[in-house]
Amino acid sequence: MTAQKQKLPHGITPYLFILPQLVIIAVFFFWPAAQAVHMSFMLEDPWGLASQFVGFENYALLFSDSSYGRSFIFTLVFSFLVSLISLALALLLAVKANSVLRAQKSYRVLLTWVYAVAPAVAGLGAYFIFNRQIGVLSQAFNDMGWAFNPETDPFDASFMLILVAVWKQVPVNFIFFLAGLQSIPKSLQEAAQIDCQSDSKRFFTITFPLLAPTSFFLLVINLTYAFFETFGLIDTLTQGRPAGATTTLVYKVYQDGFLGADLGSSSAQSVILMILVLVLTAIQFRFIERRVHY
Amino acid sequence: MKKLLDHGILIAGVLFLLTPLYLLFVSSTHEVDTLIRDGLQWLPGSQGLAAYEKALNQSLGFSGEATGWRMLFNSLVMGLGFAIGKIIVSMAAAYAIVYFRLPLASFFFWAIFTTLLLPLEVRIIPSYAVVSDLGLLNSYTGLILPLIASATATFYFRQFYKTVPDELLEAALLDNTGPVRFFIDILVPLSRTMMAAIFIIMFVVGWNQYLWPLIMTTEESYTTIVMGLKNILSTVRDSHIPPYDVAFAMIILAMLPPVLVVIIFQKWFVKGLVESEK
Amino acid sequence: MFKKLATSAAVLFAANTALAEVEIQFWHAMGGALGETVNEIAGQFNNAQSDYKLVPVFKGSYEETMTAGISAFRAGEAPHIIQIFDAGAATIINAPGAARSVEDVMASAGLDFDRTDYISGVRSFYADADGKMIGMPFNSSTPVLYYNKAHLNAAGVQPPATWEEFEAIANSLKDNGHIALAQSHTPWIFFENFHSRHNLQLADAQNGFDGLPTEIMYNNDALAMHLGKVKAWKDAGYYGYFGQSWDDNQDAFVKEEVSMWLGSSGSFGGLKQSADFDFGTTFLPYWESVNENAGNTFIGGAALFAMSGHSSEEEAGIATFFDFLTQPETQYFWHRETGYVPVTNAAYELAKTEGYYAENPDAEVGVQQLSLPGGEWSKGYRLGFYVQTREVIYREMDKLMAGDTTPERALSEIEKAANQNLARFARTVQ
Repeated sequence: MTAQKQKLPHGITPYLFILPQLVIIAVFFFWPAAQAVHMSFMLEDPWGLASQFVGFENYALLFSDSSYGRSFIFTLVFSFLVSLISLALALLLAVKANSVLRAQKSYRVLLTWVYAVAPAVAGLGAYFIFNRQIGVLSQAFNDMGWAFNPETDPFDASFMLILVAVWKQVPVNFIFFLAGLQSIPKSLQEAAQIDCQSDSKRFFTITFPLLAPTSFFLLVINLTYAFFETFGLIDTLTQGRPAGATTTLVYKVYQDGFLGADLGSSSAQSVILMILVLVLTAIQFRFIERRVHY
Repeated sequence: MKKLLDHGILIAGVLFLLTPLYLLFVSSTHEVDTLIRDGLQWLPGSQGLAAYEKALNQSLGFSGEATGWRMLFNSLVMGLGFAIGKIIVSMAAAYAIVYFRLPLASFFFWAIFTTLLLPLEVRIIPSYAVVSDLGLLNSYTGLILPLIASATATFYFRQFYKTVPDELLEAALLDNTGPVRFFIDILVPLSRTMMAAIFIIMFVVGWNQYLWPLIMTTEESYTTIVMGLKNILSTVRDSHIPPYDVAFAMIILAMLPPVLVVIIFQKWFVKGLVESEK
Repeated sequence: MFKKLATSAAVLFAANTALAEVEIQFWHAMGGALGETVNEIAGQFNNAQSDYKLVPVFKGSYEETMTAGISAFRAGEAPHIIQIFDAGAATIINAPGAARSVEDVMASAGLDFDRTDYISGVRSFYADADGKMIGMPFNSSTPVLYYNKAHLNAAGVQPPATWEEFEAIANSLKDNGHIALAQSHTPWIFFENFHSRHNLQLADAQNGFDGLPTEIMYNNDALAMHLGKVKAWKDAGYYGYFGQSWDDNQDAFVKEEVSMWLGSSGSFGGLKQSADFDFGTTFLPYWESVNENAGNTFIGGAALFAMSGHSSEEEAGIATFFDFLTQPETQYFWHRETGYVPVTNAAYELAKTEGYYAENPDAEVGVQQLSLPGGEWSKGYRLGFYVQTREVIYREMDKLMAGDTTPERALSEIEKAANQNLARFARTVQ
């Protein structure tokens, strides 16, 4: 932390400033999270009438459950693909939007809209657009000779889910990349213009390295998006079907614990997610700290 | 030639993002029969905004309270309450962390930042129990407060404060300005752009909440528009003549306000992010 | 007479009584048109008396409704009445203190209750080992076969009573360019009711009615044979598989892609409006080779449970509503509007005397099938964490239809998961 800033006299004031945040996270984050940890070691009837300590049984069951493993792998592949594709598309659009002179503003507005659409809303819209009865996309794919059938084909369902998740995520990445590009000093850009004639070479030798911090930051944001925020999307679009092939870890917590009323197992799944998230947070945090210092 | 290609790519991007929305909007202006028979439509239909009138005025539930207008209002309260609450709480917390030498600073810091990415969905049953213990079920407070327990905004403000020139603080100290005054008179006005950016992000997050309000509320008067969509989806699935037009209108209505917020505050949004990037 | 007096009194003192009304929360999973009918019944109830105000709340799918109820119960905020579906019956009935038996609730309110008033197929599913009814059967349905009359006529065939007959006619339907069959709920139709129809035991401890079962019996030759056949039919173009969604499979029938569809007797009302063609209804086919005296099926759907922890005044309100709900007129209205079967003998008689079945013979098929003579294994089942087991059944069916597994492998996977769920559940109930 920047030491010079921490100069103000400390009396009671800073505590008053930080208190609301601390109270809220203690009550609404740590207390429920602690309960989740506690429940992950218990076997409890759904109604909370009886419970017993079972040690790591809930965890052991998960690791022996092949569907949990599959869901784990799907989550990783899904998150990786969604992040990669939406970052790549957004970067391409941002670079172009930054370089064109005409209609730059219009592009910027048009390309950020979708940012505001809720995942659940996107999923519902996609449900209609891919619908067998009234949708246009299933029809179009079929006309192209692809027997597109997301209800029974795991690949088609995953494809559909990734497409919609990318659609929803491109604008966020676009905004950040554009912001990153615009914060590159003009002098540097002009120098690059003179040094490298080729567009792609200039991009890869000058622009991209400068965007690397943004990209890395975005990668973490994107991974967490794919991990967690796609819940509403999955719930309205595939419900994890077919054959559980589009079940992410968060959706599985919801399916087992929430719909299936098995609190012990879902709590164990929550704890595993918490650990994953802690790792992600630690990475992000380290990275951001480094960036501040460079 | 190269310009043309650039524009081509950008237009393709715009089409990719906006065609689905266009398709749903245009289809919502058609009669249900047309949609059932011929599927989604590419050109405007004869019904104009009739489906919107229905979506806004008809009530989904038993009590007659959950009209489209009411749901939009509830979503607005969620979005505004969440965004404003979050900005106030996190600006204050970030101030304490950046500008004071607190004995427990690193503990507080970690406590706050652990919450950074863990979503409500995975701790929803205990959260429900806490909210109910506090007697906050079926209240806007109960809807909003647990969502504020995540530190994204604190994080952004912390980053931003660190970019504020130290000279300002030096000057304030020389003037004998107290810490509260410094915060209100200097830091808050300075953070305006940042606040706008955070406001947009948080408004969208609050507006878009899905699972939490679904579980939290049992009174129809608290139904939000995104919850209403779940309702309309089951209506579409269970109805003999699915009201597609109203469903599409609801989808458009559910995305319109946050989209407008993003468009109107576009300038501050990008500027805020650029500043936080520095 | 008393009722009339009460109603007129209510009108006279409407302004005052509105404040004194006891509110009864009723959480249900009936969306769309069904939800509208629930709201209508609630309105009728509220108009018919002035002591209680019933407030129906739609809480999403069956699973979501149950979990919402569970979370609320844990928080001490349980609704008065909750609708719990067949697969969740074990969850609520095995939890002592979560729900009050409908018989007790009625008795303490001083209202008559006779379990023999209920048609036999409905009576036992939500009852305990002694036959005491815990849940109040509400939306009750059973799987039946719907067929497209024109398609069958064109092929010159009769609707099949057995699967053997189905195999004999499937090809003539295919020759006319139609898929012969689709089906909308694999666990319910091909697993649970496959066992009731053929009178096969599906779990130990009397299908779970006589204590906590530990062993599922799905992994048997008859079912393996059936699933193998279904897969063979699919490969031959006789069976259309449109995934796990109920609607996608039903839509295929409505759009005349498939000629026959196995759905719920409760789908009748909807089909009548959405199908542009003449369709008929008949019993769920069975394998003559498995059991030539195939009997009745289970009911599906859901029951209403009175949750505990409410004042005696509120309980009286619950009882009053249950009483209203089982009035023949209410049941007949529900039956007519939705297609769900009437749950009491009196309501069934009323529908008959009103000539409803003379006009709509198809509407009676479900009740008739439920009233077939049955064996000892057609009472129902009570299996712990069965929601998850159904998920596994769905999953394995997806895989089987995609050719990623065999019937034997699928059944052994299901057996493993189901037994694990049963054992786990048994330990939660101490």
